[in-house]
Amino acid sequence: MAKCTSCGDCTEVCPVVLPSEYDEGFTDRKATYKRYAQAVPGAFAIQKADKAPCRLACPAGLNVQGYVQMVKEGKYQEALEIIMEDLPLPGVLGRICPHGCEDACRRCDVDAPVAIRDLKRLAADQFDPRQIEIPCDPPREEKVAIIGSGPAGLSAGYHLARKGIRSTIFEALPKTGGMLRVGIPEHRLPREVLDREIELITNLGVEIKTDAPLGEDLTIDDLFSQGYKAVYLALGAHKGIELGIPGEKAKGVRQGVDFLREANLTGKTEVGKKVAIIGGGNVAIDVARSAVRLGAEEVTIVYRRSRAEMPAWEEEVAAAEAEGTKLTFLAAPQEVIVEDGKVVGLRCIRMKLSDVDSSGRRRPIPIPDSEYDIEIDQLIAAIGQRPNLSAIEDVTGMEFTRWGTTDVNEISYATGREGVFAGGDLQTGPWVAIGAVAAGREAAESIVRHLDGRDMTEGREPISYDDPRYRPIPKGEPSRARAKMPELPVEQRQGNFKEVELGYDEDTGRAEAGRCLNCGYCCECYQCVKACGPQAVTLETHAQQPEAVQLNVGSVIMAPGFKPFDPSRFDSYNYAKHPNVITSMEMERVLSASGPTGGHLVRPSDHKEPKKIAWFQCVGSRDMNRCDNSYCSSVCCMYAIKEAVIAKEHSGDELDCAIFFMDMRTPGKDFERFYDNAREKSGVRFIRSRVHTINPVFGSDDLQLRYVTETGETVDETFDMIVLSIGLETPPELIELAEKLDIALTPGNFSKTELFSPVETSRKGIFACGAFQGPKDIPQSVVDSSAAAAAAGELLGSVRNTLAKTKEIVPEVNIKGEPARIGVFVCKCGINIAGVVDVESVRDYAAKLPYVEYATDNLYSCSQDTQDAMTQIIREKNLNRVVVAACTPKTHEPLFQETLINAGLNKYLFEMCNIRNQDSWVHKNNPELATEKAKDLVRMAVSKVALMQPLKEAELDINPVAMVVGGGISGMASALALARQGFETHIVEKSDRLGGQALNLYTTPDGQEVEGRLTAMIQDVENHENIQVHLNATLTAVDGFVGNFKSTLAENGEETVVEHGAAIMATGAHEYKPEVYGYGQDPRIVTSLELDRKFKEDDPTLDKIESAVFIQCVGSREPQRPYCSRVCCTHSIHSALELKQRNPEMNIYVLYRDIRTYGEKEYLYKEAREKGVIFIRFSLESKPQISTEGGRLAVSVVDPILGQPLEIEADLVTLAAAIIPNAEKALADFFKLPMNDDGFFIERHAKLGPSEFATDGVYLCGMAHYPKPIDESIAQGKAAAARAVTLLARDKIFASGTVAEIEPMLCSQCGVCVSICPYSAPYFRSEEERFFPGRAEINPVLCKGCGLCVASCRSGAIHLKGFDNDQIFAQLFNLAEEMGV
Amino acid sequence: MTDFEPKIVAFLCNWCSYGAADLAGVSRMEYPPNIRVIRIPCTGRMSPKFALGALRQGADGVWVSG
Repeated sequence: MAKCTSCGDCTEVCPVVLPSEYDEGFTDRKATYKRYAQAVPGAFAIQKADKAPCRLACPAGLNVQGYVQMVKEGKYQEALEIIMEDLPLPGVLGRICPHGCEDACRRCDVDAPVAIRDLKRLAADQFDPRQIEIPCDPPREEKVAIIGSGPAGLSAGYHLARKGIRSTIFEALPKTGGMLRVGIPEHRLPREVLDREIELITNLGVEIKTDAPLGEDLTIDDLFSQGYKAVYLALGAHKGIELGIPGEKAKGVRQGVDFLREANLTGKTEVGKKVAIIGGGNVAIDVARSAVRLGAEEVTIVYRRSRAEMPAWEEEVAAAEAEGTKLTFLAAPQEVIVEDGKVVGLRCIRMKLSDVDSSGRRRPIPIPDSEYDIEIDQLIAAIGQRPNLSAIEDVTGMEFTRWGTTDVNEISYATGREGVFAGGDLQTGPWVAIGAVAAGREAAESIVRHLDGRDMTEGREPISYDDPRYRPIPKGEPSRARAKMPELPVEQRQGNFKEVELGYDEDTGRAEAGRCLNCGYCCECYQCVKACGPQAVTLETHAQQPEAVQLNVGSVIMAPGFKPFDPSRFDSYNYAKHPNVITSMEMERVLSASGPTGGHLVRPSDHKEPKKIAWFQCVGSRDMNRCDNSYCSSVCCMYAIKEAVIAKEHSGDELDCAIFFMDMRTPGKDFERFYDNAREKSGVRFIRSRVHTINPVFGSDDLQLRYVTETGETVDETFDMIVLSIGLETPPELIELAEKLDIALTPGNFSKTELFSPVETSRKGIFACGAFQGPKDIPQSVVDSSAAAAAAGELLGSVRNTLAKTKEIVPEVNIKGEPARIGVFVCKCGINIAGVVDVESVRDYAAKLPYVEYATDNLYSCSQDTQDAMTQIIREKNLNRVVVAACTPKTHEPLFQETLINAGLNKYLFEMCNIRNQDSWVHKNNPELATEKAKDLVRMAVSKVALMQPLKEAELDINPVAMVVGGGISGMASALALARQGFETHIVEKSDRLGGQALNLYTTPDGQEVEGRLTAMIQDVENHENIQVHLNATLTAVDGFVGNFKSTLAENGEETVVEHGAAIMATGAHEYKPEVYGYGQDPRIVTSLELDRKFKEDDPTLDKIESAVFIQCVGSREPQRPYCSRVCCTHSIHSALELKQRNPEMNIYVLYRDIRTYGEKEYLYKEAREKGVIFIRFSLESKPQISTEGGRLAVSVVDPILGQPLEIEADLVTLAAAIIPNAEKALADFFKLPMNDDGFFIERHAKLGPSEFATDGVYLCGMAHYPKPIDESIAQGKAAAARAVTLLARDKIFASGTVAEIEPMLCSQCGVCVSICPYSAPYFRSEEERFFPGRAEINPVLCKGCGLCVASCRSGAIHLKGFDNDQIFAQLFNLAEEMGV
Repeated sequence: MTDFEPKIVAFLCNWCSYGAADLAGVSRMEYPPNIRVIRIPCTGRMSPKFALGALRQGADGVWVSG
């Protein structure tokens, strides 16, 4: 991975096309791929499964998937190279192989197997195999004798030659090829094909001697004494098996193999007029088809079983039939009828098949008295053949099986005689040619090992998988017919042996290859290995296997995420069938600028711009009927609104977006505002209705749905596309993993955690965060992840830095006063730059630029050896500035700066220019102008770098002490997390006790008493040796900055100063005191917290209540407070359940706007409904009314279904009052912290930095950030601590060198820089200072180098190092050659 | 005007647009080579002087993106 330059050349050549998961299958990717363009790390990966079934089925293990893919690409030469790794006879086997691979092809499950054999032939037809360069090892001295030039012998000779070993093949017959020539008629295998491929073997130096049979004149001993070091016996099986019936010796009775041999060697043989052939194998068919061609008038095959049992290939049988051969099934010869010593007829008996016997076959049984005669003048037996052992049966040490074959070691093919090996039909009995080829290859390997004196079997066990992993057959893979092989018309086949199968044309063949399903993903064609310049992908890479690595860790954090719900199982939504019903994940891609349509919003079926889109909420969430997910997935409402708003942004006002929902759940920070804006400004329609069915509109790609509005009206509406807002779920493999790790799960299959320890799983030391802990959005996931880090840190704080390594520092060379001596390194990036830009001319051009001392080009500038060379060159040439023209500084600047450091140069004496990402890659069709651009960029960079100066990075000591402001539950969680990690912590609380709002809470929703847990927590804080508690304390002044704050506390009337490196704001919030709903006028009207107090005190009035009403959103989601207070729905429902528990008969009403029991809080809502709590919705426009007339407390509300006002008499009205931030303005000013309109602090980043401020060294947690329940408050408390520890755990921090600096002489003290800086880096010097009093100065540690102050300074007093005016102007002056230099 | 090929100078923010321009390359998009990019640390660094300077140097257009 370190060598990968992320150029993507491997992807270019990869033939395997797969659907892109990243683009939700809308686009394709290769098996060699990067998940998406911005992926980190940038390296490419290869997706692999087990070796494809076709390959495993092939006796020779040919890489079928590999060559099929090459054929698909039209790369016939490459296809042959892959085939000929194992098989030297591609054109031969491409015609005659019985292709067991096709039986294994998984395409059979879709339609028919890929025509693998015919594709092999196509490759050999399109490219002459003799032209393939076959890599051979250097020649060796030893020579080997091979007996037999059939497929086994030829293969052995070929593979020996590749290993550098010479061999001589001794062939008994006058012609080479063995059974390939004498057993197979020419209409199946033209001789020129066979000759051509034997020639490619002899071209490697393999010698073949014909008419040289093994026997008395040539024995094995002779061969050894002639100097052959090994002998390979590949004699084949040429001896036909006799029928064993009377009359067999008569004239006119022949063996099939003899018949074929004669016909094939001489082109003619004696043929009868009426020929009967006995047997059902390929030999019988070959004999029949040859006999027809040689002039037989009537040819009949007699077979004792039925057609289904025939071992011959069906296509051969069919061809024989088409050519006129008759087939007689279920008949066996009994006697040859002989007259005058000549055959005149054949007596047969009819057979029937038995039931399946123990061998799994149906045995033929003669039917008594069913004999009949047929008239023939020639009988050819083709019931099998066996080896002729006469030449070897007396050889010492050799052993034979009872089937008359040679006995060998099954892996090495060694016989009992040392140095003698055997294979092919001689060893197996008659079998397929490809088996003989494999045997020859294996024998060659054994022979080499024998000659080397190595173990002949080690590491050669065949590959087999018990349960192979393959690419699943894609759902909905379309059926595509297998290509038909063109054939010579039947009428043209008589009297000649012209080839019958004519071969595919290119288009047909390539399309046929395209049917391959790529079972193994990567096809191991190794084109990527050839394409990879920096050798990041090698054969070793391809051979990598999963590795089990054991790690010693003190803690485990589980962040395995979730799986989006698959809505295919909901038939009524038609997701699986209709292209325009898509999931929200798919919609994300459709809307993305980097998505399949480049952000152009079109629907999938016809790429039409939609005019109407509907979103369906709660698909796979809050649903027990159609799936088992009763929880709320928390994120779907918000993302649906976002998608609708973006869709409208893309497509303009004409687009109608409708969101169908049950409750709109936007309880996150600023989410309610987003919802309001979507509804009111963007015009997104929100329809409170759950739609049951989506129906395709006949004759169009539109979709129709019927829904019932809140007022009970039924509406039919048609949409162009529908987005299913799918929920989150834990995939089965994670459930399994949790079981393995012994982690308890919730009913929704999320990691079970306690409210007071929100990231701790049931197993000590294992923590959980993200959606595995519960369905949640990004900010909450980020909070949890930091919290999990803190929790792990609490366990491991004592061993911090014990495994850290320190780096050696190279002393920096002083270049002061030296003129610029610039080195320019122009990168080729293999062909990525050099393929477009003329790198040499850029290099030569650079060499002529002013101050350039040295210019060169590199093949890969980022490779380790080039880095070393660059370090060397910088030293040797005494360079003091460096320009690298290569890829992008965004990824590679730090690497080259490291090179400078290693060469002793300040790392800021460097400039990169981007001639790959922003030049060669984007102008590949314009090489000349791209080269010009590269020269311009180099010239600009050279002019800039000449002006660069060594920059110092400000260094700052960190005071490892933290201060937490606020002693509520999140502040305490923060303090404990810090203290437990070994950091001294001050906790500052303005009241007289710790505990904050949690002091007011009765129980948690899971039924635990808050008080006990809270007391324990307070004790932990008070007793921890690292924590100092400051009660009745407020901050009166804060001085300093990150790492070195000095805060003044007014504590019980006294002032103390605390020095600390980090500060955490946990200032909390409080309950709104309502001014509505008669609050304060009647003791029976209380707030949620007041009800909690009654519970805590076990108030006796609670027992007298018969009717209780809860009113939600009191002060929340109102125009003056447009945010949701997040906790109130859960709180009210929890309290309602508490009341129900006290008195199950009590009538309880919850008046709400949307119930927002997000996540697994949904179970409470469900329970409340089941227990009879009545939920009545109201709208902002018609809020409930309270009446206390005559001492009677009553609430009236308009029933949304009936549309009628409803009056509820109540003994208790609980107002779910809003949560209002404490909005500590003074504190915000001290630390320069921003607040939003509602008074909540504004975090560094809403999604990715929720627990910290933009101001360095200051962190945020709890309700000061946003209203939240106990678990989320504790999580964020820990999260803020974790963020603070990233600072406090360092002794020193280094600022960047590219910071702004003020020339105090020029400063006019206007203060623009001080007010404008988002990081509070500029400040005024004290008026008391001796030099430049009152002038502005910049703290380099806080400066982020954005340059905002530089551009804003009216006096031109500020310089931005590294991007100063003169440097940018130098670039401008050198924009075009004629202007500059 | 049909064969007018404007020279454009782009000032791109290091954190967003410059990265986007890299991504255009990674995605193998194509655009005409008449543009010269100057990387700046933030568009906050952009000064009217730079835009004027580019125009004075013969640029036909200045693009600031961030």
